[in-house]
Amino acid sequence: MTKDLNRRTFLGTGAAALGAGTLGLGSARPAMAQTAVSLQLSWLHSAQFAGSYIALDRGWWAESGLAVSLLPGGPNAPVEPPVVSGTALVGISAADYTAAAVAEGAPFKIIGVAMQKNPFVIASLPANPVNEPADLVGKRIGMALANTPVLEALCTLNGVDIDGIDIVPTQYSAQPLLAGEVDCLLCWETDLPVAMDMQGVENQTMLMADHGYAVHSQTYIATEDSLANRRGDLVRLMSGEVRGWEAYRADTDAAARLTLEMHPDAGLDLETQKLQAARQVPLMFSELTDANGFGWWTDDTVAANVETLGLLGRTVSPDLWDRSILEEVHGT
Amino acid sequence: MTSLTIHRPIGPAIERRSRAALGPVVGLLVLLAGWEAAGRLLTEAFVLAAPSEVARYLAAEWALMGRALGVTLTNAAAGFVIGNLAAVLLAAVALVWPRSEGVITGLALLVFCLPLVATGPILRVLFGPGPGPQITLAALAVYYTTLIPLLIGLRAAPQSWFDLVRSYGRGRLSTLVHVRAMASLPYLFAGLQIAAPAAFLGAMVGEFTGAQRGMGVLTVRAIRALDVEMTWAIATLATLVSVAVYLAIGAVARRVLLDEPPVILSAPAVTGRRRRRDGWIDASLVLALALGGWAGALWLFDLNPFFAKGPHDVVEALFLAPDAAATRATIGAALAETAIFLIPGYLAGLLAGAALAMLLILVPVLAGTAMPVAIALRSVPIVTTAPLVVLLIGRGALGTIVLVAVMVFFPTFVACLQGLRQAPGQVMSVLDSYAAGPLTRLVRVRIPAMLPAFFAAARMAVPASVLAVTVVEWLATGAGIGSLMALSASLSDYDVLWASVVLVAALSALGYVLVGRVERRVLAIYAPEQLA
Repeated sequence: MTKDLNRRTFLGTGAAALGAGTLGLGSARPAMAQTAVSLQLSWLHSAQFAGSYIALDRGWWAESGLAVSLLPGGPNAPVEPPVVSGTALVGISAADYTAAAVAEGAPFKIIGVAMQKNPFVIASLPANPVNEPADLVGKRIGMALANTPVLEALCTLNGVDIDGIDIVPTQYSAQPLLAGEVDCLLCWETDLPVAMDMQGVENQTMLMADHGYAVHSQTYIATEDSLANRRGDLVRLMSGEVRGWEAYRADTDAAARLTLEMHPDAGLDLETQKLQAARQVPLMFSELTDANGFGWWTDDTVAANVETLGLLGRTVSPDLWDRSILEEVHGT
Repeated sequence: MTSLTIHRPIGPAIERRSRAALGPVVGLLVLLAGWEAAGRLLTEAFVLAAPSEVARYLAAEWALMGRALGVTLTNAAAGFVIGNLAAVLLAAVALVWPRSEGVITGLALLVFCLPLVATGPILRVLFGPGPGPQITLAALAVYYTTLIPLLIGLRAAPQSWFDLVRSYGRGRLSTLVHVRAMASLPYLFAGLQIAAPAAFLGAMVGEFTGAQRGMGVLTVRAIRALDVEMTWAIATLATLVSVAVYLAIGAVARRVLLDEPPVILSAPAVTGRRRRRDGWIDASLVLALALGGWAGALWLFDLNPFFAKGPHDVVEALFLAPDAAATRATIGAALAETAIFLIPGYLAGLLAGAALAMLLILVPVLAGTAMPVAIALRSVPIVTTAPLVVLLIGRGALGTIVLVAVMVFFPTFVACLQGLRQAPGQVMSVLDSYAAGPLTRLVRVRIPAMLPAFFAAARMAVPASVLAVTVVEWLATGAGIGSLMALSASLSDYDVLWASVVLVAALSALGYVLVGRVERRVLAIYAPEQLA
C-alpha cells in the first residue's frame, strides 16, 4: 500500500464530504466499493486526534472498505447534532456532554473511551502553586463560568469549601494567569499548560482525575440506531481507531509530524504538537488499556463515572456505555 | 476659511482628496508609533504584539497566512455579494410593492437579530462540511446594513424630479431608473462600505463552527497557543483587507457620484389612524410569517427534533413545562445581565460615531488620521481585541461596554459622515454667500441633512450591538445571554437555546421599533420625505 494511493483516497473522501457523492464512480481505487462515513471531531485539527490521522494515512480504513472523513470541530461547532442527524456515524464527545445530550433525548451510547483520565487540570505558577485541592482556598481561579459544576464536583470530592475560592470568569487563555489577574486556571492538561511551556513560562498542573474527578473524556459516541443497523461500519471504524492510537503511542513525535503534514493550513507548530502528543499519552493509556486494549473500560470505572456525573447534576445509568463494538474489535 | 470655501463649487470629491492627501500618512505613522510603544510596554502581558514583531511574523509565515486569507476572503466575498444582492432585491420588491415594505424590513430585521452564537451551529448541521456556514454568516452580517440605507436613498429625491418624470408620461419603472436609483447611490455605497468589514468578521466567526482552514481557525489556534505575534498578524491582515476594500468602494463612489446632493423639499407626511393601523397589520404579518417560516423550515429540511426546536417547543419550554418558571428565571437573569452592558455601550457608540463624524466635517484635516483608526477599530476582529480591552479597562462591565461601543461606533460614524455630506449644494452656496462659518453650516444644514442617516444607523446599531455583546460574552467574559446560549448548546439544552434566540431577536426588534418611534418624531420636522 503506497503512500500516494492513500493520499488520493483522502482527497476522494473530501470530495465525497463536499456532497459530490460520486465516490466509487470517480475514485481512483477500483479495489472495493468504499462506504463513506464521517467521524465528527470535538475540536480543530491537532495532535489531539493524531491516532485517527495515522489510521487514515496508512490506509487502514480504506483496506477495510471505509472512506472516512474527519470533520473538524471548533469553538462554535456542534458535535452531538451531526451524530443525531446522521451526518457523522461517530462523534467525539465526553461523558458529561453525552449524558446531558441523552437527558435531552438523544439516543447515544458511548462505544469507546479515548481519554481514560479526564484532562481537566488546575494550572498554576511555581511561585504560588496549587498542588492539591485544599490549596485552592483563598485563590483566584480563572475559568469559564460554564465550568462551575466541574469545580464544585472537585470541591465536594475533596471536602473543600467552594465559597473560599474566588472564581474569575475569563476567556479560555493562559493570558490572565500570566498577567496576574488570577492565581490559577481551570483548563486542559494538553493545551494552555503546553502553550505556557512553549512560551518558556514555567508552570505546574494538578490533574483533577488524580483527585477523584472521574469523567471519561474524548469518548466515541454513536446512536442506538447505528449500533443496531450499522455494526459492521462501527467495528471497522473503531478498529482503525484502535490501530491508529496504538501506533500513536509507539511514536508520538511521528504522530505530531504527520499531524502537521496532513494539516498544513491549521497553523500548527511542530514542537508544540510533539509536546501535546506526549502529554496526552498518560491520559489515554493505563494498566487497564494495556491489559484490555485501547478505549476499554470496566464496570468499576463506569461506576466512578456515574458517581462523579451525579455530582455534576447528571443522573446516568451504566447502560450509557456499550462495550459490544470494542469487544468485537479486540476479539474478546 | 474663505480660501477653502471658494473651492466649494468644484465638488466635494476633489476638495476632499487634495486636503486629505497628507492625512493618512500622518495618521498611519501616529498609529504605528503608538502601537509599537504599547506593544513593547505590554510584552510581559501576552496581549499585544508590536508592529515590528507582526511584520517579522508575516515575513516568515506569509505562505500560511496567504492561504488562510485567500480562503476567508473568498467566503467573505461570496457572502458580501450574496448579502448585498439580497438587499438590493428586497429593496426593489419594497419599492415596486410599497405596501410590503413594513413586512420586508420587519422580517429582515428579525433574521438579522438572530444571534450567530446560535445560528452558527445550526447552519453547520444544515450545510454539513464545507464553506456553507461561513458564506451564510457573512451574507447575514451585511444584507441588513445595506437594505436600510438603500431604502432611505430610494426616497431621498426632490418631489420635482418625480413630477418631471410623471410629466413625460412615464411610470414607476422610469422613476426607479432615472430618479430613485440615482438618488440611492450615495446611500448604497455607504452601506457597502459598512458591509466590508462585517462580511470578513462573519466569515471568520463562521469558521468557528468547524472549518478546515481560514483566518478564524488560525485565530482560535493563536489565542490558545499564547502566540501573540500570530494573533496580531491575523488581526493586522484582517484590518488591512477591510481598510483596502473600504477605500476601494469609496474610490468607486467618488468616480460615480459627481453631482452635489439636491435640495429635498417635501410636505409634512400624513400620519394618523390609517398609518397606525397599517403598522399593526404589518407587525402581525411579520410575526405570522416568521413563525410559519420557522416551522416550515424545520419541516422542509427535516431537522432532528433533538436540536431543531419549533415554535411550540419554545412555548412549551417557557410556559407549559414543569420547569418553565426556572427556565424563564435563568433566561431573564441572563438578559438583565446583558442589558447592563448593552445599553450604555450602544448609546456611547452612537454618540461617539456622530460626534467624530461632525468633528471631521469641522476639521477635515483630521479625516485622514481618524479614518484609518476608525476603520481599523471596527475591522480588528473582536476576538483579538477583547483580551486587550479587558486588560486595559479591567474585567468589569466597562470592558464589555467599550467593545459594544466600538462595534456600534463604526457604522454610525460612516452613516453620519455620509449624511453630513448630503447637505444640499444650493443651500451650502447660500450660506457661502453669507460667509457663514463651519459651525453655522454644521448646525443649520449638515446636521438636519444627517438626521435620516443617523437614525438609520441608530436602528441598525440595535442588532449590531446585540451581536457584539453576545459575541463578547460568549468569547471573553462568560456572562449574560451570550454565554448562556453557548453553554446551552454545549450541554444540548436546545430548548433554552431556542427560547433565548427567540427572546433576543424579539427584544432586538422591540428596541429597533422604539428607536423608530423617536426617529419619526424628529424626521417629521427635518426630513418629512422619509415618512411619506
